[in-house]
Amino acid sequence: MLFNSLTFVVFYVVVTTLYWSLSGWKLRKNLLVVASYTFYGAWNPPFAALLFSTTAMDFWLGRQIGKARAKKRWLVASVCMNLSMLGFFKYGNFLLQNFQWLLARVGIIYQPPHLDILLPVGISFYTFHSLSYTLDIYRGVLQPTRSLRDFILAVSFFPQLVAGPIVRAGDFLPQLIHPPRLKTNQFLWGLALMTLGLFEKIVLADTLLSGSADRVFGYAGPLVALDSWAGVLAFAGQIFCDFAGYSLTAIGAALTLGFHLKDNFRFPYAAIGFSDFWRRWHISLSTFLRDYLYIPLGGNQVRPFRMALNLVIVMFLGGLWHGAAWTFVVWGLLHGSYLVIERIFRIFFEEKPWAGTLPVRLLAGFATYFAVCVAWVFFRASDFTVASRMLTGMFGGHAHGDMILTTRELLQIGIVTVGLLSLHWLMREDAFETTVTKLPGWAITAIGSVMAFAIIFTQGSSNAFIYFQF
Amino acid sequence: MPSFISNFKQRLRLPRMFFRRPTREEQIHGGPPLEFERPIPPAPWRGIAVTITIIVTAATVAWELYARSVGYAPTLDDNEDLWTKARRSVQPESIVVIGDSRAWFDVDLDEFEKGLGKRPVQLAGGGMCGFPVLQDLVSDNNFHGTIICSITPRIFFAPPGTPPFERGEKAVKRFHSQTPAQRVSEELGEWLEEYVAFLKQDDLSLEGLLGQLPIPNRPDAHVPPTFPPYFQTEDRERRARMWEKCAEPGSELAKRIRQIWIPLFTPPPPPSYIPQDIFMAKMKEGIQKRFADVTAAVEKIRARGGKIIFVRFPLSGGLKELEDKTTPREKIWDPLLQMTKAPGIYYSDFPELSGFNCPEWSHLSAGDSVEFSKRLVPHLRQALKMPVTP
Repeated sequence: MLFNSLTFVVFYVVVTTLYWSLSGWKLRKNLLVVASYTFYGAWNPPFAALLFSTTAMDFWLGRQIGKARAKKRWLVASVCMNLSMLGFFKYGNFLLQNFQWLLARVGIIYQPPHLDILLPVGISFYTFHSLSYTLDIYRGVLQPTRSLRDFILAVSFFPQLVAGPIVRAGDFLPQLIHPPRLKTNQFLWGLALMTLGLFEKIVLADTLLSGSADRVFGYAGPLVALDSWAGVLAFAGQIFCDFAGYSLTAIGAALTLGFHLKDNFRFPYAAIGFSDFWRRWHISLSTFLRDYLYIPLGGNQVRPFRMALNLVIVMFLGGLWHGAAWTFVVWGLLHGSYLVIERIFRIFFEEKPWAGTLPVRLLAGFATYFAVCVAWVFFRASDFTVASRMLTGMFGGHAHGDMILTTRELLQIGIVTVGLLSLHWLMREDAFETTVTKLPGWAITAIGSVMAFAIIFTQGSSNAFIYFQF
Repeated sequence: MPSFISNFKQRLRLPRMFFRRPTREEQIHGGPPLEFERPIPPAPWRGIAVTITIIVTAATVAWELYARSVGYAPTLDDNEDLWTKARRSVQPESIVVIGDSRAWFDVDLDEFEKGLGKRPVQLAGGGMCGFPVLQDLVSDNNFHGTIICSITPRIFFAPPGTPPFERGEKAVKRFHSQTPAQRVSEELGEWLEEYVAFLKQDDLSLEGLLGQLPIPNRPDAHVPPTFPPYFQTEDRERRARMWEKCAEPGSELAKRIRQIWIPLFTPPPPPSYIPQDIFMAKMKEGIQKRFADVTAAVEKIRARGGKIIFVRFPLSGGLKELEDKTTPREKIWDPLLQMTKAPGIYYSDFPELSGFNCPEWSHLSAGDSVEFSKRLVPHLRQALKMPVTP
């Protein structure tokens, strides 16, 4: 079920009330398991069986890795099981299509069957939740849990189940040892985070930005530069508000139940450079890729060329993780190239006295945002024809193109973009909590009231979150 | 000097981090029990929560009172889930009404039930192309009932990718893919909408209100057409009724809506990126294909004992003139009946059906829709070869 739906409101109220009413910790954990599977099964009940089967397999494999001498063999089994599941459901048709294309290059005409596969919601997320467990046991940083129930809950905990943050078993399982106490301030702060998250999703992403982004990217003709850029900026704002909104709602919901999930976003559009961007954007994925892929590949401790190659490999796979399409791969490769170019720049300019001055930092920040927006074109475009048309429009190639956005939409995009960038730059050095600490009580009340009323007033139509498809 | 992090923790009164050796119980999960704890900003959260609740409740009540004071009343939102609910109620021998808003407004389910012996299922909708729905019913092998299909040429022949076609397509898609959560949300939503007047997605939502701001567009901008404001109510069976305020003689609302229909029903200029002759050829090809597809669908439904009848509902004033000019009867209606060999009722062929006036040129008032339906029933019975009395 979606966070921005009436079903979730009722579900959340019932689960939270029951959860804090029960006295036994085991009973409460059982309730959360049932609630999480209900939450997931509310999309498609058979998917819950699939979720259970991969979880149970990883639980068993984790124990084997923990006690066996040949740990590697069991780890390989876990990685293969998880990735083959992901591969079949997410990449099956994509692989077949590419195989068909390759055969056609050598003159073999092959018509593969179209696999009518329904992609289980959030499979990329829960596969990584589960996979982190066996990987951490193999790395020796986590001991296998003896409780299947606890592991099931760690993988399927409903706030983070379908669209992150990617919570590693090692971060969650320890929280299942002692029952949390109901702390009023923590509970209310959790509700405040949920309100902010839903405001970002319902008001900013769905109401003020998504319509324009959809129309621009869905338009079949050439567009003038203003409309092309407006569409891209709208999408840049939409995807941030959508995904960061989901993450905040998840973090808030978990907090109201006494669980602590780490930040997934830290004002990414104020990033100075691409390493900084990836320390601020989808942090749980970037740290996952860093720890389980980049560092095992050699990380920074290898020759420069190999390091550059490692960066590109990691971002290539990061792109593919987002979707089974070459446009996502190009998006990942672009970010990989950005990271490599940044490293080269750092070698030559990092030590220069002017490198840390405010104008240079601002310039670097806007250059980062610009490059990130260019990469978003590939992320959002349905194919390369659309991406190429958009890029041509953005760089003035369609001087006589069409104008399809209303003045109101242009204003909306402009106001939200400027507001978003300003807030990110103002808060870039602080944690969000620090900013709230600085605010007087009346300001928190006013902002909270406006956001809560705006959610009711907006009457969202329960649009799905963008990251559900991944 | 304390580091930024420790200073930050101190300011936020963070609980101490766990750096002790884990107990045996903790070792079950490996490692310290909690290495990360979210900071809670120090603030009078209780007072803030109570004040926010009071302000938001007061604002919501005020907004509701305002909505009612300007004439809005609780009614259901016409969305894909409500459509799905109606679609789910279709039985193998049901009478189903499909097509655009004219069938949605002008068909009175009670009169149809009285006259046809069965309560029809209302699957027509505002700006909805009936073709995807027709295709869906045809592909349902169990269905062998009767389809009453409204024909408004510009909507029924809308090509794939256009809003009317997508509206029908999305509704059908939701019917086939609705999740249990969406179903529950629809039930809860209906319950709320029956009590709360401001819950109108189209009109009183933030998006709807922003859309009403009088901000001029760029002179050459191809902006989407304006859609009419709220002027109907809808019940759980998806029966739409024109808002009385719109049906009043000399209604300002009706006048405003008339001016919206004209650009909405005027053929748009060919897109700039396709040569005009190619575009026109494509359009022609698309219409011919739609004729062929509808003919195939009609044959298929007839082959398994089903029936279909096309109906042209009343329209008036400038909109009638525009439709007669841009989509004349001999170009669309007549070929449709010839090709499909299906019966059809064109309202203006019958004096008892043609005397109605549509207040905003496109739909009948709630009262007239009852009378119109009563008069339409005998024609339907005759065309469908039903016995004279039910």
